[in-house]
Amino acid sequence: MVASPPVSKSNPVAKSLVSGILSAVGCVALAFLVQYISGQFLSSYANGLVFQAATFVTLAVSLNIVNGITGQFSIGHYAFFQIGAYTTGALSLLFWKKFQGAANVPMQEDIWIVLMMFFGIITSAFAGWIVGLPSLRLRGDYLAIVTLGFGEIIRISAENFTFMGGATGTKIAPEKTVVWLAWLLAFAAIGLSRNLLKSVHGLAFLSVREDEIAATAMGVNITRTKVAAFVIGSAFAGAAGVLYAHQQTFISPDLFKMDGSFIVLTMVIFGGTGSITGSALAGASLFYLPEALRELPPVPFASLVGIVLGLIATIGALKRYSDQSHAKTSVKAATMIGIIVVGIVFMAILGKLLSFVPSISAHAPIQGSQLRLVVFAVTLIVLMLFRPQGVFAHHEFSWKWLRSVLARVLPKQKEGLSS
Amino acid sequence: MVLHGLFLGLPLAALDIRTLPQQIVNGLLNGSIYALIALGYTMVYGILKLINFAHGEVFMLGAYTSLFVSWAFGFTPNATVEPQTQVWYLLVMIVASMTVSGLAGVLIERFAYRPLRNQPRIASLITAIGMSMLLQYGGQLFLPNSPPPNIDAMINPYRGNVNITLVKSNENLVAAMKSAEQTKLTADSAWDAQKKLEENSFYPSAKGQALQDAAQKADRDYIEAQGKYNNSGVSILMPVGRIITTVVTFILMGVLSYLILFTKRGRAMRAVSHDFDSAALMGINVNSIVTFTFILGSTLAGAAAMMDATLYQPGLQINTFFGLLPGVKAFVAAVIGGIGNVPGAVVGGLLMGVIESLVGWAGYTSWQDAAAFVVLIVVLLVRPNGLFGSTAAEKV
Repeated sequence: MVASPPVSKSNPVAKSLVSGILSAVGCVALAFLVQYISGQFLSSYANGLVFQAATFVTLAVSLNIVNGITGQFSIGHYAFFQIGAYTTGALSLLFWKKFQGAANVPMQEDIWIVLMMFFGIITSAFAGWIVGLPSLRLRGDYLAIVTLGFGEIIRISAENFTFMGGATGTKIAPEKTVVWLAWLLAFAAIGLSRNLLKSVHGLAFLSVREDEIAATAMGVNITRTKVAAFVIGSAFAGAAGVLYAHQQTFISPDLFKMDGSFIVLTMVIFGGTGSITGSALAGASLFYLPEALRELPPVPFASLVGIVLGLIATIGALKRYSDQSHAKTSVKAATMIGIIVVGIVFMAILGKLLSFVPSISAHAPIQGSQLRLVVFAVTLIVLMLFRPQGVFAHHEFSWKWLRSVLARVLPKQKEGLSS
Repeated sequence: MVLHGLFLGLPLAALDIRTLPQQIVNGLLNGSIYALIALGYTMVYGILKLINFAHGEVFMLGAYTSLFVSWAFGFTPNATVEPQTQVWYLLVMIVASMTVSGLAGVLIERFAYRPLRNQPRIASLITAIGMSMLLQYGGQLFLPNSPPPNIDAMINPYRGNVNITLVKSNENLVAAMKSAEQTKLTADSAWDAQKKLEENSFYPSAKGQALQDAAQKADRDYIEAQGKYNNSGVSILMPVGRIITTVVTFILMGVLSYLILFTKRGRAMRAVSHDFDSAALMGINVNSIVTFTFILGSTLAGAAAMMDATLYQPGLQINTFFGLLPGVKAFVAAVIGGIGNVPGAVVGGLLMGVIESLVGWAGYTSWQDAAAFVVLIVVLLVRPNGLFGSTAAEKV
């Protein structure tokens, strides 16, 4: 029929296979490199932070599969995380000592944790399947509420789970911060999301997000797609939970409160719903931000009040300006930066003035760690006011994208065409 | 059995049918508070199609306001002289609480929700979550919360109980109780006399020991007989504070119904809830109606907060998460009744209270909070529009 395709020197299948293998090897190498560097040069506390950053990247990227790519608004992601942690908790309590005693060669901690990840994935994926089912009937805010409720049910069940110490929690056996495994998991989540989006199945996920009815008309099985998204997302969260449990060693329902889900949600929304690189970068940076706040010296109360008032005024002014101005992008950006500078000066002056008010200056200074969740809340609100689609929106981070953004924002040259 | 072994928190309690009426009444009284909060959720949802997550925090702010007012009246934790309470103190508290809550609701709507009205609904929902977190954790910086303060129970002048007897206690048991009492009194007096004799010795003598044991046994027997007598009847005990709460709740609901059904503004509200855009085209000032809705819902939450912390559960500790659970349960109540439906919210709230106290009655006290969510999921799956909601398919 058709003439044979032009003979290319390299076989595309073989080429993709080679690049796939190469990137897999690269990821493993990178994961071990991170482990080596953080183990050699960082304190054990900082090493733990490197580990937890990977956990949050995994959580954010896996929630992005549900929230961003498939468009099912889930706000109970910590439930799956908790299921993973409690699976390994229960199994380790039951069997870890026995394995240690029985075998001639004591079981390696790493191997045990990998094994537990396997079980954690099974249980949390099953939970994801159960939560995915109602998503067939509900959408938008109703689904959000159901996922939130599911998360709380899981947490309250854990509080009644006396085998694991109930509300107090329990200590579980092998204590190990497996940095390489955590980062490998994060890379796996990123890689899987990326490959998913390149495949036909990924297009089905996207079509469900954009328009369910049109997707059905095109022959996409909505049921399967939605449930698959929940299962994949929760499986990664469960695996991350296993690693987290072995790093924390003391697990209790308090670790998995509702706020955790909101933090992960903030990460996904900040990065841009649907953007894999966005969620990964937001996961790492938003995880680090509150940790950096801990290092801050205590803030005098007067300055804090000044900052709050100044922040409200600045945000209001910015919002008003960005809504009403029709200037060029570059002018607009410059003005907004100007408003922010004025706002910061205003905050400083206000803080200084307020410190003369006796009742305010008498208040105890505020520790940086107290601001941890406040930062997330403010991030969420400011983001929604100014850029509801997130920093990266639906785009992926790439140099090409960055260049195109810069070209739009920076003043154009004469030869440049106006957009 | 395996499950039962793992979750030892689950006693398969013997259900005591005699305490059931008390539990149902408790549930109804409790549910009236939920109903009051649920009205705020349901009205806002009816108008803006927005789940106002920050509603629980508005409730929390109301509780703090009444705390500060009670401190202003001298009921501070380290007051040396216990001040005398007046009925109008309560009135000032509830009015202040309603005012502050209403103001908070309006401010939240104006600065967090209104700028996003043209965005997708999810954007407002996320802002609402952010607002809720901001008030919970930001409030910790500004409001007194460690150790958690509480409103002095003494500010409530109504501290009595109302006891309603449904089934009279068994009279045959009275005699047994009386005789047990007699035995107890004689044993006690004998032991007292012996105690006087042995005042100086550290250890009681053999005779004294026997008398002491006998007195203790008679004590136990008497308490047992008394319990038997009391349990043979069915009665309902209601603290007056709770009754007042419920009465005030229903008065407020009546006022709300009047406002919605018989005033011009209420008619405008119903129109906006029916069709936002058409109402705007008909010359209704939509923004002022939305503000009015937030005022109504938030003032009701403020009233509920004051009554919950002062009259209903006097001495309840207040922290910035005070509104979290009541808020969530009230939301479930609104969903049960069909969100957007005002009478539905009231029925849903009462139902929610009863369900919760029945779960406690069955012995699953530690699962009470989970029950709300289970009910929520079941209702959403079986009847997403609630008991009274109209079934309208979401159009493309």
